Order: sequence, then structure tokens, then C-alpha cells
Amino acid sequence: MKKIEARNLVKNFGKLQVLKDISLTVDEGEVIAIIGPSGSGKSTLLRCLNKLEEIDRGTIIIDGKTLVQDTGTGVQYANDVEQREIVCRMGMVFQQFNLFPHMTVLQNLTEAPVQVQKRNIDEVTQEAKELLRKVGLIEKQDVYPLKLSGGQQQRVAIARALCMKPDIMLFDEPTSALDPELTSEVLQTMRNLAKEKMTMVVVTHEMTFAKEVANRIIFMADGIIQAEGTPEEVFGNIQNERLKNFLRAIEK
Amino acid sequence: MDYIIRIIPQMGLGALESLKIFSVVIVLSLPLGMILALGRISGFSFIKKFIATYVWVLRGSPLMLQMLFVYFALPSIGILFEDFTAAIIAFVLNYAAYFCEIFRGGIQAIPKGQYEAAHALGMNYWQTLRRIILPQVFRIVLPPISNETITLVKDTSLVYVLAMNDLMRTTRNLVQRDFSVVPFLVAAIFYLGATLLLTILFERLEKYYAKSSAN
Repeated sequence: MKKIEARNLVKNFGKLQVLKDISLTVDEGEVIAIIGPSGSGKSTLLRCLNKLEEIDRGTIIIDGKTLVQDTGTGVQYANDVEQREIVCRMGMVFQQFNLFPHMTVLQNLTEAPVQVQKRNIDEVTQEAKELLRKVGLIEKQDVYPLKLSGGQQQRVAIARALCMKPDIMLFDEPTSALDPELTSEVLQTMRNLAKEKMTMVVVTHEMTFAKEVANRIIFMADGIIQAEGTPEEVFGNIQNERLKNFLRAIEK
Repeated sequence: MDYIIRIIPQMGLGALESLKIFSVVIVLSLPLGMILALGRISGFSFIKKFIATYVWVLRGSPLMLQMLFVYFALPSIGILFEDFTAAIIAFVLNYAAYFCEIFRGGIQAIPKGQYEAAHALGMNYWQTLRRIILPQVFRIVLPPISNETITLVKDTSLVYVLAMNDLMRTTRNLVQRDFSVVPFLVAAIFYLGATLLLTILFERLEKYYAKSSAN
């Protein structure tokens, strides 16, 4: 079953075209890693999926529901209420964590399920604690986020996204803002999630993670998908010059 | 000492009048300032320009002039207020302009990532504002708000030009009647007492909000 269906996405920032006719489908339980040099449009692609950026042309269907439809001359987004319903089917993890600093760790998790999904607070609190236990931070439930290390904050951010019971998880360079010694705890959390068959789209520079965990690798450059396939296909026999250069550059 | 005890009731009444002005102005101008700030950062360019002009006029001219204008000039076009109302209107409009700028600065200091996280969690505009943005804004604006509030305590003395019997005018009357400068000292103690209370209150608030800071 298709969880994400994005067809012919075009996105312009002023005169610069950052997405040039990109199409992407993600099946249930798939883990997709999007790699590529900075400025390649990979983060923009991810951000378009939950409407943090609006596309100029194309169609995006999430879990069978149309977020935005190409009209032939432009695009038509779903109405505000439908949009929000579709958007919160996807959990998003940001490079800079973006936890709410004025709320405790536990409140960060329970806020949206209670306010947005109108779920019962006791029930949500139980689930939130369960998630914190899973990411190994239950003892930090009453701490404010800024008192935590970057790796801990990112694990809280993952738990916060999961507390919405999303069908899909989007990761936008989740380890790029972390000190090297803190990346492994976040990657481990993501590995566990992949094992539970969560559908994941991960924009990342972690090649090892991409090779080990992803079912499919997408290499982007200049707003175009340059190469796509299983890790073996993409990394096994590298034809694409851009990919060759990119991999050479990051190995240094 | 006897003299002080004798003038205390009268000065107390004056202080009460000042306190009344202070309280009404704070209660009305803070929310108005917040609404103006939201308008000023909204997407409507007409509203933005209107509020920018409003802020310029109200911050750019003396509060006393504004008060005299409301009390003496508006009646000439048929709008009449009694002294208390006139003073309140001028004060609220004036302080709201300052609070507007303070809140605007606070709102704009919130990182974009906070809005993005709220969006990704499906929160709508009001939920984002009320639950995520404003609580963080309050923390940022506390020191400048504290400043303005203390200024307001002292600015209440301006109402003497409307012949209202606030603390300042009562004091001057006593000084002139009794040929004594002691009422000045008592007035100073009243004002200092009030600002000390506010200082302590705001320190407590800042400490409370500091619990979520990084260190």
C-alpha cells in the first residue's frame, strides 16, 4: 500500500528552481534515505510533503488522501482542516529538534495529542511515558528540554512525533546538528523504529545508516533524482558521475 | 512625626487615586498592546501601516500633550469626557503603543522552528500562538514590561494637569497649605514603595520563567 505518492513536484524559490519535476512513492513499512549535496533540494522535498513549503506544481497524496492536486496551471491544496489532518499523519523530526522550551519533556509529548487530536490526557500521558521509556529518557520526563544534551533532545523530538501515532515519519537531517559522539543514540532510536516497520523518509548524511537501514536510497542533486534503488544498486556499481563525486567528497 | 500621621489619610487618598489610574491603565493597555502587536505582524498591509502610524504618533508626542488633547481639544468637536476617563484614554492609548512594540519584538524573537514544529504537529494558528508562541514571548518581554510598568507608576503624576487629586497633586496642595516640605518625602516613600513592590513581583516572575532556560 502506498503511503506517500508525490508526482511531478516543482518548487521555485524566486527564480531558482529547487525541485524539478520530482516524483516519489513510498510504500508502507519502507525506509527511504534521501542523500545528496547541500542545496540539492532534498530537505525542500521533505518539507513539501507536510506543507512546510508549498509546491508550485504537482500532486501529493498521503495515505490515500490528497494534500495537493495539480490543476494543469498551478496547484490546489486541500482546505485548512483537511490539510492539518493529513499533515499530522506524518511525524516530523527536525535538524534543530525544535522542542518547545517552555514545556517539560512530558508536556512536549502530550501537547499536540491533547490539543489537536483531543485525546484523553491520562491516556496520552501513559503512552507518552511508554515512548519515553522506549527512547531511554523516562527519568527526564519532568526536565525542560534545554537542560538536555542534543542527542537527548532529538530522542525526545522523535518521541514527541510518535506520540501523535503517525503513519509516516519524516526526518530532516536528524543528526546534522549533533556532536559526533551523540549521533549514535539517535541513529539507534531510528533503527529500532525501522525494525518496527515504521514508514520512514530520512534526509541524511549518515551513509552507514543509509546503507544499513534503508530499503531504498534516493540520490538528489540540482533538484533532480539522479539515482534511486536499493543500497546495493545505488552504491554497488556507481554509474552516476554526480553520485561518484558526492561520495568521494564526503569520505574525506 | 505627628504631622506625618496627620497628613497620611489625605495622602493615602491621593495614592489610592494614583493606584486606581495605574491599575486600570495596566489592565487595559497590556491586552491592547498585544492585539496591536499581532496586527502589526499580520499579513494585512493596511493594518500594519495603520498601527505603525499609530505607534509613531503615540510614542512620538508627549503623554501630557495627549492627555490635554483628549480632555480639552476633543470637547470642541463635541466629545466630552470627565477627567478620570480622559486621563485613562490617553494613558491606555499611549502605553499600548509602547507595549505593542515590546510584544512585537518578543514575538519576532521566537525562532521559525517553533512555528514549524507546531505546524508539523497539526496545530492551527490560535493553538500555535496561545500554547507555543505567547508563553515564550512573555518570558522574553518581562524585563522591558517591568521597565514600562515602573515608568507608569511615576507617569500617573501627570494627571495633576487635569486637576485630579492624585498623590502628586495632594502632595503639592499640602506643601503649599502647610509651608512644609515633609509631604514631598512622604510622597517619595509612597512612589518608592510601589516601585519596590513591582520590582519584587517582576523578579519573581522572571525567576519562575527562568526554570526552563538552558542553565
